Amino acid sequence: MKHRILPALAFALLASAPALAAQTSYQTNLGPMPLDDETKTVIAGRGDATAVLDGRTVTVKGSFHGLPSNATEAHIFTSPVAGVPGKQILDLDVTKATSGTISGTFKLSAQQAKDLRTGKLYIQINSEKAPPGYSWGPKGTLWGWLLPAHETVGQDVPQEGHWFIPQLDTPKS
Amino acid sequence: MLKKTGLLLGAATGVALAGVMAITAMAQNAAGPFTQDQVNAGRQAYNDNCAICHQNDLSGATDAPPLAGDAFFGAWKGRSTEALYSKIHATMPAGRGGSLDEATYTGIVAYILHANSARAGTTALTPTTDVAIGAIATGKLADDVLHPPARVAAAPANGQGANSDVATSAGFARPGQVVRYGDPGRFRIPTQLGLSLKGDIQNYIPVTDEMLRNPPDGDWLMFRRNYQGWSFSPLSQINTGNVSSLQLKWMWSMPENGTMEDTPIVHDGIMYMWGVGNTIQALNAKTGELLWENRLGPTPTAMGPGPSTTETRSMGLYGNNVYVAAPEGWLYALDARTGEQVWKTKINPKEGVGRTTGGVIIINGKVIVGMTGCGRPKSGDHCYISAYDAKTGARDWKFTTVALTGQPGGDSWGGKPDDERMGAETWIAGTYDPELNTTYWGTAQAKPWRRDLRGTGTGATDYANSTVALDPDTGKMKWWHNHAPGETFDLDEVFERVLVDHDSQKYLLTIGKAGILWKLDRVTGKYLDHAETVFQNVFTKIDPKTGIPTYRKDVIDQKVDQWLPSCPGPEGGHDWQATSYHKPSDTLIIPLSQSCVFMLGNGSQTYFEMPGSDGNMGRLSAYRTSDLKPLWSFQQRAPFLTGVVSTAGNVAFVGDFDRVFRAIDVRNGKTLWTTRLGTTVQGYPVSFMVDGKQYIAVTTALGGGSPQLKPGTMLREVHRPVTGYAVFVFGLPDAK
Repeated sequence: MKHRILPALAFALLASAPALAAQTSYQTNLGPMPLDDETKTVIAGRGDATAVLDGRTVTVKGSFHGLPSNATEAHIFTSPVAGVPGKQILDLDVTKATSGTISGTFKLSAQQAKDLRTGKLYIQINSEKAPPGYSWGPKGTLWGWLLPAHETVGQDVPQEGHWFIPQLDTPKS
Repeated sequence: MLKKTGLLLGAATGVALAGVMAITAMAQNAAGPFTQDQVNAGRQAYNDNCAICHQNDLSGATDAPPLAGDAFFGAWKGRSTEALYSKIHATMPAGRGGSLDEATYTGIVAYILHANSARAGTTALTPTTDVAIGAIATGKLADDVLHPPARVAAAPANGQGANSDVATSAGFARPGQVVRYGDPGRFRIPTQLGLSLKGDIQNYIPVTDEMLRNPPDGDWLMFRRNYQGWSFSPLSQINTGNVSSLQLKWMWSMPENGTMEDTPIVHDGIMYMWGVGNTIQALNAKTGELLWENRLGPTPTAMGPGPSTTETRSMGLYGNNVYVAAPEGWLYALDARTGEQVWKTKINPKEGVGRTTGGVIIINGKVIVGMTGCGRPKSGDHCYISAYDAKTGARDWKFTTVALTGQPGGDSWGGKPDDERMGAETWIAGTYDPELNTTYWGTAQAKPWRRDLRGTGTGATDYANSTVALDPDTGKMKWWHNHAPGETFDLDEVFERVLVDHDSQKYLLTIGKAGILWKLDRVTGKYLDHAETVFQNVFTKIDPKTGIPTYRKDVIDQKVDQWLPSCPGPEGGHDWQATSYHKPSDTLIIPLSQSCVFMLGNGSQTYFEMPGSDGNMGRLSAYRTSDLKPLWSFQQRAPFLTGVVSTAGNVAFVGDFDRVFRAIDVRNGKTLWTTRLGTTVQGYPVSFMVDGKQYIAVTTALGGGSPQLKPGTMLREVHRPVTGYAVFVFGLPDAK
């Protein structure tokens, strides 16, 4: 139970086939950034994104919808650990609308590549109404941590034997 | 009125010491942008709407941050009155943001400013008044808050103050409106207390110690059905092959305007229900006919769902009595045949201090209860577990759940004086091993939650967030194991202790808000194993030999007025929605939640989805207890708001926030049957048998803490009626 790295890696490799063995895939579901009853009307929406790492080159593609106001910018951040905000490191192209796409291709540093591999990079989309003027917590609209590619199933569909739990299925180093 | 200036802003952000000093000096002189009339009105409005969670002295408790003193001031001195109004207006009362009128909100803000030693002036506060709080307040508690006038009464059952007008039973009136009932001749007015219907149950079978040790198959005599906390029914008439034909047999509407997370207690065809306002009812479990009703009170005085401190999760049966631990701190014995009161005794140390919400466990003729909502700063009012003679109500023993100076673990509080050691609440009833004659209880975290405010450094704060093993005859502690030493995020480890044997090995399994399933040797308390069931980023490692976790570095180094993220947040991981141990397959079925929070030192929170959850807040997972092997899991958008009951028919039942009640196959997690009920399915489902037919009972209700508040904010697409508290009973179709 305590060590699931090997199955996760095996699945990641499986997911990237028939791509080159050097490629590794990551995925994230973009959800609302921290909100409360006061800000939930401006912090909303959903999206998905993937990142494919080939050597040091990462290609990010994704889409989003349902933002309460037009997207203004999108970035990749590095964080100490998933769920903890960090520093902005890369800029993504983003559709300046309430729905659209994000994309970008970058040459990562060795540290950035390691951060991607260990689940510390996340995507953030900002919008016109979020973040301005709000003092609680990190400012933005959607975010999601890029985690090793893994099987996802529909709601209410049971997974038997093994299911993805980020801190167990992401490499520590 | 002072407008924010560059100097004040600088000081408010804490950048310049000189600025802070200037603010302090100004605060001693400047009148606040509110009037004394607003303070007076706000005091009453605060007592009616806020005090039940934030406490009469504004010190905060449970999910509610302090609204006065250093913790509040540290977070708000750099922010404006407009922001405070906006925050309170949008979010309060909890789950009902924006439901009060503007004058009430401005009054409450004025009272909070006054409580932090801001001085009333001649200009009335408005929603757009924009003054730096650090410029007018000091954070020092006002004298009349520290020593409230005697007329300020403790909050009643649903937590909205003692002097409010009568609420409707359905919650449709606006705040403060008195509603006249049109037909009191036929319906007893809900505010009238006492035995409203006397019962005459014949041939009642007294509940014996032997029955509690080995419950009759068709009965559900206590919280988790058996002493071991399994929530497993040996009934198999309803099984994987026929559960899809399950149908409603009867339902009974329950009192509203409060909180209900109830366990139907069933004995020999009679169902005993606890309802809001401590309305105790006996029903014919086969037909739903009311047999007796005793309204113990106090009655709800405000509308809508209440906080988590205003309910009790389970009653108990013993002899000819039903035992009720009312959340206000009273323990009642009622005659199970008539509903008449046999005795009543005080649990909490003094009026308004300490509540009890976890229900009871009855062991060897003693009714044992826990306590929550105690431990006001420097009061010395510690939480305790206490035992009462089932015949007389006389207190037999009490066990204080914080380690005091000189006791084992007493040196784990960083040198704090005994009267400042707070928390370690017990808000879930314990379990019991008759062979070892030991009762096992979980405790909640130390208070205040955050280490930066608590002042205990990295101390473990025993016996908080621990499993404590007690001798039920004496209350003496046999051992304790602290699962999360020095906890700091409101991640309770208070929940059910499930007792499982494998051959001669005696295990205790429990899971807390961090979502870590712990396995202990229940003879010695020794840590044996664990499994992480959801994403967590609070601990960086767990010692494989001792089970002691290591906190994230920024958690250890936390500072006042610093936002820190926590996954899971106070919703859990796992919360009060208890597990079921399916004995035939050695499977523990666990309701889990997947949300995170950003938390400020004073307890203020914002919420976000758990990484890797794809926006699914609910998860139900199964683990084999022998080796903690994961067996199956599924997730869904809505979190589960009931415990789980499993049966010998290999089915398990669970309900959720979005009104769905479902049956699943214990062996693989597949859904076999669903139905949609009136409002959130909330409580502890049970199974029982009457006249040879098996039934499943579950309640729908609202109210509570984080498990209601987080999804209530995050799941904007879910719409639920504010009414609909009820018990539903399902069964198979009658044979033709």
